[in-house]
Amino acid sequence: MSMTIAKPSVRVRSAANAGKRLRWNSIGSAIWPWQLLTLIVFGLLWEYVAANRIIDPLFIGTPSRILSFFFTELFVTGSLASDVLWTLAGTGIAFGLGSLAGIATGLLFVSFPATEKFCDPFFAALNALPRIALAPLFLLWFGLGIGSKIALGFSLTYFIVLSSTVAGARSVDRDFLTLARTLGASRTKIFLRITLVSAVPTLFSGLRLGLIYSLLGVIAGEIIAAQHGLGQQLSYLAGTFQIDGVFAVLLLLALLGSGLTYGMSALESRLIRWR
Amino acid sequence: MAASGLIAVEGLNHTFGGKVNALEDVSFTVAPGEFVSIVGPSGCGKTTALNIVAGLVPLEHGTVTIDGATPRAGRHDVAYMLARDCLFPWLTALENAELGNAFRDMPKEERRAKAIQLLDSVGLRDFKNAYSKELSHGMRQRVALARTFSMPSPCLLMDEPFGALDAQTKLQLESLLLELWSRERRSVIFITHDLNEAVLMSDRVIVMSARPGRIVADIPIPLERPRSVRSLQKDPRFHELYAQIWEKLEYGVFDTNMAEQ
Repeated sequence: MSMTIAKPSVRVRSAANAGKRLRWNSIGSAIWPWQLLTLIVFGLLWEYVAANRIIDPLFIGTPSRILSFFFTELFVTGSLASDVLWTLAGTGIAFGLGSLAGIATGLLFVSFPATEKFCDPFFAALNALPRIALAPLFLLWFGLGIGSKIALGFSLTYFIVLSSTVAGARSVDRDFLTLARTLGASRTKIFLRITLVSAVPTLFSGLRLGLIYSLLGVIAGEIIAAQHGLGQQLSYLAGTFQIDGVFAVLLLLALLGSGLTYGMSALESRLIRWR
Repeated sequence: MAASGLIAVEGLNHTFGGKVNALEDVSFTVAPGEFVSIVGPSGCGKTTALNIVAGLVPLEHGTVTIDGATPRAGRHDVAYMLARDCLFPWLTALENAELGNAFRDMPKEERRAKAIQLLDSVGLRDFKNAYSKELSHGMRQRVALARTFSMPSPCLLMDEPFGALDAQTKLQLESLLLELWSRERRSVIFITHDLNEAVLMSDRVIVMSARPGRIVADIPIPLERPRSVRSLQKDPRFHELYAQIWEKLEYGVFDTNMAEQ
């Protein structure tokens, strides 16, 4: 007499995935021309309002001039390009240091809960402090250069990444830990292979937010006082009533921010394919 | 296998938080290679008893030994399986199947070969590289079976491993478990609330009463092996045993309820 093992009667996975991808693509390709059209109509309307002085272009600029400023200063004279580099460098360093420190502190808190208990009131107070209020102090400590901008970006990113690291490591499934214990995993293995890995998805949403806040901190620092950077340009252009230039820098910042977020999401979906 | 897998539980008493009596004078042994089911109403402490043997719940009163040694979570001679598949979503089916041996530092080639062999046996040859989100409930529990059986532990502790499955998938996995078990007999403590399942699978069925959990009957199942899950359902002896156990179970529940009133 034989015991037959039934074959699993479940769909082949590549076929199911292909079906899903196809559907998303068709939705995507249906939507983006409409989005582009909306943008163009909005631009034309803006151009019309400004050209006919329904609203004074001194306040809202003119799209054609904004675009021309954008291309000239970025690609022809290149004066904006060096500011972009200064801002990106500040953002990158603030993000790198802030997230490394945030992850390290988070892991310390998770491994030794007493340290979190001790630090909690101090960190809560620091985090509740409007960080921009620290800008004058940072300027005094780190000077007019990139240092004070990095400090401001760091002070924002650090707490965001810290709390997402702790939340991620706490989100680990209790049953996974029980199973690992019965399977004979050591404490180190449980920490490295389960707690850490479980924390990655939550950590990534913290990193994405942290990156945007690094940019925010650096720009805010540059607006307050700086020699270089997009924030400094923004403040200079606004101060001299070059409203087309202000809008061109805002456009650039929106593109930079989206680019950074997109890059982060791409990295995330590469790293967490199992999700 | 070096160890034989003799599990001995003697005079086990347990309370929840020092107040509620969970287990009262529970004693039984599982001989090497014996398949023993424990049935009882929910809350009767059968899972607690299992977790004490697994070393997950500290022992209060009584003695528990596995081949003469005291229980401790992570002992290599015990493999534990839960109702939930507990597959790690970031690992493939193959990586999940070899997880236990990976934690136990078995060399990579050896544990991989073992996992592939087990995945073949549970009918998942073509799903080695699938993540758990791509697998059905039944398939995930098959991977969990492969993970459990790929460890060379002489004792298997199973806490309602098929409790979350639909009736048909459950039948499939029951025959699968019987087949894996009959290849190299290990000692099994199998917790379930499904009498059908208990009679089909076991050499002995232990019936527990409602809280505080006591053993009200220890019934041998003399049906010959190998057993067919399907044909046994038509066997009159199967139904006799079923009725016998049901009576004991009913008595255990009823008796305790009367005592409380």
